[in-house]
Amino acid sequence: MHKGFKTTLYHIILWIVALIFFAPVFWIILSAFKTKDQILSIPPKWFFTPTLANFVDLFTRPNVGTYIRNSLLISAIAVLIALVVSFLAAYAFSRFKLKSTSLIMFFLLSIRMVPAAASVIPVFLMYVALGWKDTYPGMTLFYAMFSIPFSVWILKGFVDGVSERFDETGLVNGGSRLHVLFDVVLPQVRPGLVAAFIFNMVFVWNEYMFNYIIGGKTTTTVPVALVTWMLNQGGVDWTFMASLTVVFMIPPILAVYFFQKYLLIGMTFGTVRGEI
Amino acid sequence: MNSVEFKNISKVYGKQTLLKETSFAVEAGTFTVIFGAPGCGKSVILRLLTGLEKPTSGEVFLRGENATSLSAGDRNIGYIPQSFALYPHYKVRDNIGYPLKLIGAPKSEIDDVVARTAELLRITRLLDKYPNQLSGGEKQRVAIARGIAKKTDIFIFDDPLTGLDFKLREQLFDDLRSMQETLKATFIYTTSDPLEALMLAEKIHVLDDGKVIEAGNIETVYHQPQHLRTALLLGFPKINTFDGTLEKDSKSIICKTKLFSFPVDLNQSEKSDNDQVVVAVRPQYLKLNEKPSGKSIFINANITLAEDLGGEMVIHMDADGVYLLGVERHDSFSQQEGAVEIGVANQNLMVFDAKTSRRIGQGAN
Repeated sequence: MHKGFKTTLYHIILWIVALIFFAPVFWIILSAFKTKDQILSIPPKWFFTPTLANFVDLFTRPNVGTYIRNSLLISAIAVLIALVVSFLAAYAFSRFKLKSTSLIMFFLLSIRMVPAAASVIPVFLMYVALGWKDTYPGMTLFYAMFSIPFSVWILKGFVDGVSERFDETGLVNGGSRLHVLFDVVLPQVRPGLVAAFIFNMVFVWNEYMFNYIIGGKTTTTVPVALVTWMLNQGGVDWTFMASLTVVFMIPPILAVYFFQKYLLIGMTFGTVRGEI
Repeated sequence: MNSVEFKNISKVYGKQTLLKETSFAVEAGTFTVIFGAPGCGKSVILRLLTGLEKPTSGEVFLRGENATSLSAGDRNIGYIPQSFALYPHYKVRDNIGYPLKLIGAPKSEIDDVVARTAELLRITRLLDKYPNQLSGGEKQRVAIARGIAKKTDIFIFDDPLTGLDFKLREQLFDDLRSMQETLKATFIYTTSDPLEALMLAEKIHVLDDGKVIEAGNIETVYHQPQHLRTALLLGFPKINTFDGTLEKDSKSIICKTKLFSFPVDLNQSEKSDNDQVVVAVRPQYLKLNEKPSGKSIFINANITLAEDLGGEMVIHMDADGVYLLGVERHDSFSQQEGAVEIGVANQNLMVFDAKTSRRIGQGAN
């Protein structure tokens, strides 16, 4: 009885916290189906006739398709490159136990400890010097670089979980290292690969600052477009902002919905893999 | 011919020396057990043999040729690791056929070998299952099947039966022996279990402290160990030992221990007076309340515990502060406690040098 009450209370608190966090999202979703006047009306309108006019307007604007395509392509390719590099690195860290492994692993992650604002200027200067600013390869490689540390951490946990006896069985039977890597170890770390993919995908998808500074007209992704277009008429373009945001949210929401358990792995560096 | 030969092999990891210039040879077509206490370097020997590790110094010969620098894949050795290491993403069928698939054997041949091997190990009904659907014993059978599916003449078993229950192990002992006879291949098998070694081995190599200290036919090594460590490690229950000294008079050499004295036949004549020795006698040779044949020594002791193992009993005894173990048949010995007279035939008393642990002689008849 007492325990039941505690659980109920616990759930009520969880619901309240979750709703507080969901409120802005809810407001954006509602706004996407309102007219501009309805969005700004005080008190807010809870009951209204939804309209799809904002979405029609969104997709008749020039370049919106390009921004969405840029976001999809750059984040997907960058994360795929990162996964290939990270899987090889994680395997090396796991199997060829260097004395300095933990130090190198720490250095890798420390890249993510530097505030983006501190590294954006040097990166900008490098990109200008190399002529990579506002190029697809430049943007993609940058995001790949940014996704690698975290992926290595997740994947190392997984490769560590695959006994070396598997590698040895492959090697003794005449398999090459590549065979061991891709036919023996890789199939056993698939959950880790999915986790790393989703986690980094969500990160790159939402990234704003670097795309704003080292991107440009050709490689603009949705977050940058959102800010630039929202403010370009001297005020805030509320309907555009709301409708584009809703479209922008769909892929991550679907990904999180379908791959929730893998996200949990990502957040814990693979330590809960036993429950998958 | 020798299938495998180690010449002065050393293996050092960091500050740890695991093998110390050890040399030994394994005869082709034998069931050879490498036996030693846990952590004595057995697995290292197998890793050097498979090529998964390279020796720090020394040479490995396979089938008469120097294989020291050959990679693991080029040595053509069938390998059954201690942990089963069955690929979870392959069906049993594909796990067994794996070594053949790797060398690009045609599918019909793979199917044929898989079917025959599965039949040999009685796992045909498991072929279409995945490893996580199998029990421990079944997994081990599949791992063995995968190991022997390979077309080769040398098979290595890294203590493959640890963790299996006794009944399963006994069945697998029989299977392994008969498989070796069918294949006529060299089986190299490591274990730290003396019973397993005694049941399986045709030849045995005893490994201690990074060296093979003794090798030979299992019967010889068991009954006439030439090294004290062999006597201590190989056998159940544990061998009885007594500290003693050698005293020489004009006619003979007498060994004196706290409990008894007996004349000694020395193998090496250069031994001098008052040498420190260790006398060892297997529990099976302690005759309780019974006179052994031939010249014997006698010890008075008290039974402290009679352990009933079903067919036989292990008798724990105390003789003036010295702890002794004896084995008696259940049906011919019923005493649970009290005084006993122990008789031991002189020829069953083995004498080892206390310093070098080498066998120097035995009781004279």
